[in-house]
Amino acid sequence: MKYRLLAAFASVFLLATSLVFAQSTLTIVRPSDSVSLDPQFDTTSTGTVVFSQILEPLITISHNMEIEPRLATAWEVIDSTRIRFTLRQGVSFHDGTPFNAEAVKFTWDRAFNSEPPGLWASLAGPIKGVEIIDDYTVDIVSTVPYGPLLYSIALPSTGIVSPTAVEALGADFARNPVGTGPFKFVEWRTNDRVVLEANPDYWRGRPALDTVIFRTVPEEGARTLALLAGEADLDIAPSPSSLPTIEGNPDFDVQRVPGIGVFSLNFNLDRPLVSDPSIRHAIAHAIDRELIVETILEGNATVPRSVLGEPVFGFVDMAFDELYPYDPDRAVELLTEAGYERRNDGLMYDANGEVLRLKMLPSNGRIAKDLDVAEIIQEFLRQVGIVVELDVFEWSTTFSLIKGETLDYDMAAWTWFTQTADADYTLYPHYVSTELPPNSWNGSRYSNETVDALAEEGRGSGDLERRAVIYEEIQHQLALDLPTLPIFGLMETAVVSTDIEGFQVHPIQYILELFPVGRR
Amino acid sequence: MASFLLRRLLLAVPLALGVVFLTIASLDLIPGDPAALMLGQSATTSAVEELRNSLKLDDPLLVRYFRYVAGLVQGDFGTSFREHRQISAILGETLPFTLQLAASAIAISVLLGIPLGLLSGSRPGSFADGLIRLVSLIGLSMPVFWTGLLLMVFFSVNLGWFPVAGSGTWKHLVLPSVTLALPSLAVVARMTRSGVLEVQREEYIRTAAAKGLGRRSILYKHTLRNALVPVVTALGLELGQMLGGAVLTETVFAWPGIGRLTIYSIFNRDYILVQGLVVVLALIYILINLLIDMSYSLIDPRITYS
Repeated sequence: MKYRLLAAFASVFLLATSLVFAQSTLTIVRPSDSVSLDPQFDTTSTGTVVFSQILEPLITISHNMEIEPRLATAWEVIDSTRIRFTLRQGVSFHDGTPFNAEAVKFTWDRAFNSEPPGLWASLAGPIKGVEIIDDYTVDIVSTVPYGPLLYSIALPSTGIVSPTAVEALGADFARNPVGTGPFKFVEWRTNDRVVLEANPDYWRGRPALDTVIFRTVPEEGARTLALLAGEADLDIAPSPSSLPTIEGNPDFDVQRVPGIGVFSLNFNLDRPLVSDPSIRHAIAHAIDRELIVETILEGNATVPRSVLGEPVFGFVDMAFDELYPYDPDRAVELLTEAGYERRNDGLMYDANGEVLRLKMLPSNGRIAKDLDVAEIIQEFLRQVGIVVELDVFEWSTTFSLIKGETLDYDMAAWTWFTQTADADYTLYPHYVSTELPPNSWNGSRYSNETVDALAEEGRGSGDLERRAVIYEEIQHQLALDLPTLPIFGLMETAVVSTDIEGFQVHPIQYILELFPVGRR
Repeated sequence: MASFLLRRLLLAVPLALGVVFLTIASLDLIPGDPAALMLGQSATTSAVEELRNSLKLDDPLLVRYFRYVAGLVQGDFGTSFREHRQISAILGETLPFTLQLAASAIAISVLLGIPLGLLSGSRPGSFADGLIRLVSLIGLSMPVFWTGLLLMVFFSVNLGWFPVAGSGTWKHLVLPSVTLALPSLAVVARMTRSGVLEVQREEYIRTAAAKGLGRRSILYKHTLRNALVPVVTALGLELGQMLGGAVLTETVFAWPGIGRLTIYSIFNRDYILVQGLVVVLALIYILINLLIDMSYSLIDPRITYS
């Protein structure tokens, strides 16, 4: 008892002194905990932003979407299957192990050759492996010509791990990660917090922050209150509805940038009704996407310009608002031309007297407000006489339906993130005719020979300029054929205290750059 | 008593086995593939297949059931698909938080609910009675996440007394326990009140008054004790719910207990983790029910078990 009392006093004393001497701590609130601190087992964005403070990739993508060096100082595209990297010298892991070509090879081999492979292996594409040229030069090689290779290597999941630590710790590495990054791992309390401390020997210099705390606060209202109560400095996933209150508060800044995710309505061209292009075009005219962005999403989204997010490599402005402006009269006209007749009840009937009825599979809870948007689409379509039946499930069920061999729905609505920030990652699996579920994502069952040939060429080419032209052509074709109607583009949003300087929200939700961040 | 205890404990074994079977079977029925979910949007079919194989997801239901039970018997809850950690390690981290929260919430409901119910029941129709009934009605009707956010706004943001969310110090425990306790406090107060009112109409209370016992003595020794049996039953149910179903409170206050863990593990189809949680919860329920049954005979010696 006496000792317990003593311990209590001691801990109070320690707490008090730590309060006095605490220099700069940044507390971040996020909606869900890390799955693992080993990229091998965690590809969630809330998890990636944590381990990527500890483990650094060779290259990364800057806020203006340019490739930036990290553990590599230079790179050279040798051909479309091979990129050569010159590695940074004199860098050590947090455990003292020197960083070199061996560590790069170890990290990539571990992801691709383990049983089962690391979760990010399928993100990165057809990678053969790493070839060591000398101690500080490596080639990263793909099995087939692979245009997006550079973007794959820039994935934050590819953070280089300390081989000594992985071998010594085994499975425990997932809760004691060791890398070269600006912050070192201190503590992880499951579902509560991950604590990191500054790496004084970091190669770019000691970070301005001493401590970074990632707290898990699932309730969005509670995250906002934690900011207001001064318990947290940065919310990396604020809810749209909390932003109006925060925006009037001089102690906080709201940052927004267009992101890499697009919420779209995907038509299943195997189904007779929506395989008729005039019905798809009518639907595009019937949905007021601007109103959806303004009201339901409260301005925290963009009116989409393409099936790709604006920051993605290959994005081209398709001017969807000019091609398919909100015009319900035009929608009714198109449907009438397609042989439907609008009766007194306002609904569209075909020649056999059947109501035009479409089945839709919406995502629910995958991103904020997705179901609300699906419901408003249902209402917009009813106004031009189309009856939409929504089948609402939780995400894991919807996911397996979307990825099923057959899809018993006319339309499915969900969000796709171009995770590698390269157009290939979205356009190839969605629109190449052979990329059908369950193997891939062509849920529209879209088939166009020109698009097939272009996508194939874009994947195999190492020439960025040529690839940009290719992706522009594909997007033009898609805007005409409309296998997918983008509804809104996601914005990356963060609320940050004005006590914090140097923070900038990244267009890619997987990237959080904390090295330049400090307290005023 | 001892043979009763032994029988009940032995009964727990087939009960737990049945619960495990139902859990595994119902997880089998719901759609959603843990391997596909783990690999995310860009997974290839062969990668999903490979992961399914390594997780042994394609074995027949009965094979998975017996493998799991064989592990359980040796105290092995298995390894989480997603976290690649022993379930026992995960439970060891989260269960104490849930127990802590449930214990303090139950303590609040008992320490406040019974006196309030007694006060209200012994003076029916008084101002205090009306107030207590009104407040308990509010406590019962307010949704937990709403109460939680109100308490946060008032006590954390405005007054700065307690942290908004999280865990670690006793201060973190206050608001979630109060939030979790409010509805059960209301139940306890109302049950105590109606128990007291009912018992006071009994002949033996009149007899006690007739033989000249004081008002207090009648209230505490005769009325309260007899009124408590249904209250204890209700408490058991409340405690069970708090241990398994404090999901909302745990979510609002970012409390790292097993309620939140259960929801996430179901969403992620982390079957082994769901199974482990269900087994533990089932055992806790069985244990609570046993304790409740035993406490009846302490409160009312006329109730015996043989």
